[in-house]
Amino acid sequence: MNKPKEKEFNIRTEAGKMAFIESVLFVSKDPVEPERLMNYLKIKDVADFERLIVKMDDDYERRGCGIMVQKAGGGLQLTTRPGMHEFLKEFFTIKSSSRLSVASLETLAIVAYRQPVTIAEISDLRGVNSVGPVKNLLQKKLIRITGRKRVPGLPALYSTSREFLLYFGLGDLSELPSLEELTEMFEEKEQPSLFQ
Amino acid sequence: MNTENSIDEESYNIRTERFEGPLDLLLHLIKKNKMDIMEIKISEITSEYLYYLRDKSRINPSREGDFLMTASTLIYIKSRSLLPKPEILQDEESPEDRLLNTLIEYDKIQKISQVLKDMEGQTLILWKREEVAEKFVSKEFELEEVSSFQLAEVFLNLVKRREGESFLYIDSKKYSIEKKWEELLQLVETDGYLDFFQYVESLQTIEEILVSFFCMLEMIKQRVFIGVQKKLFGPISLWKKTG
Repeated sequence: MNKPKEKEFNIRTEAGKMAFIESVLFVSKDPVEPERLMNYLKIKDVADFERLIVKMDDDYERRGCGIMVQKAGGGLQLTTRPGMHEFLKEFFTIKSSSRLSVASLETLAIVAYRQPVTIAEISDLRGVNSVGPVKNLLQKKLIRITGRKRVPGLPALYSTSREFLLYFGLGDLSELPSLEELTEMFEEKEQPSLFQ
Repeated sequence: MNTENSIDEESYNIRTERFEGPLDLLLHLIKKNKMDIMEIKISEITSEYLYYLRDKSRINPSREGDFLMTASTLIYIKSRSLLPKPEILQDEESPEDRLLNTLIEYDKIQKISQVLKDMEGQTLILWKREEVAEKFVSKEFELEEVSSFQLAEVFLNLVKRREGESFLYIDSKKYSIEKKWEELLQLVETDGYLDFFQYVESLQTIEEILVSFFCMLEMIKQRVFIGVQKKLFGPISLWKKTG
């Protein structure tokens, strides 16, 4: 059988660059650092690269593709689109995705905003012993030990990990809302209830 | 404000189990009574807080201990407010202030948790590479790494079933690892596999269970058997290792 001739790529062109990035992201299990891609493609300007990624993602959206480009943990990765979630769950017969418990979320909140922090400080802020949730988060690799506090007993200090950023879809820690923004967010949310 | 009356039917059913900790309960009470965190009168919510701890005939120190600690702080603060105030040094933080600051901080933590929870919800619906495999694996065949302590606990669990038996008199050696080895090997060879718990049920004495258990460990160690335990305290299945 005579196959039609495979298309040749020229990664000097914009289309070629996008095709190259797409194939790298397709085969990569973990997010790929933009710097590596830029190096290979000899792109000097970050803004140029950003434009390319946006164009790529827009293309996916315009064509109604089931995947998209996501920035997380300082890297790029391909994920499915939000609207596919229910179908995927049904297809793979997955009943429900496991979520973090309230205790784990509270503990993560403290680690994220106060890092590096000890278990004693976490327990103090939560008002309950927090050894359990800390262990659980360590096991899930969402937090890691980054040092020892120079106080009696040299307790371990915990910080968030790269997995934390990936899990919550954050580029870096600065994307978490600041405490001021947080107050505003909740004031807006709580306002309507006054009139109910 | 009449705190006694504000304890309605709904809150009657709420017990401490629903709360993450004493601070969570206090914040709930503050919000329920539509108080402003900055202006709460601690003495007013104390009786309501204590109500949640009432009817606890037995206290589990590891859990309710934290609730009791806060209760004692609340009572202390309330009693202070009833007594003539002694001169307080300027730079000393009063227990009211300390509790209020803790509550304000905890309120922030809860808000951040809510934000994280929303983010989690947004990213959980984006599937990544190999996610399907992980989602399957975590449900069924996750083999846990267990420590020797956990293994010992499994063993104690086995022994408990023979609790009535006397430990005081130990008869002369009736069972040997060598004989057990042959027996276990034969059982596995005839059936293809062996449910170790089921096997132990059929045994008469702790001594025999002991010998069987150590024999099983030895056989796994020497790679005669493959042993699989899907969860802690769960059944142990044995297969003969091939090749």
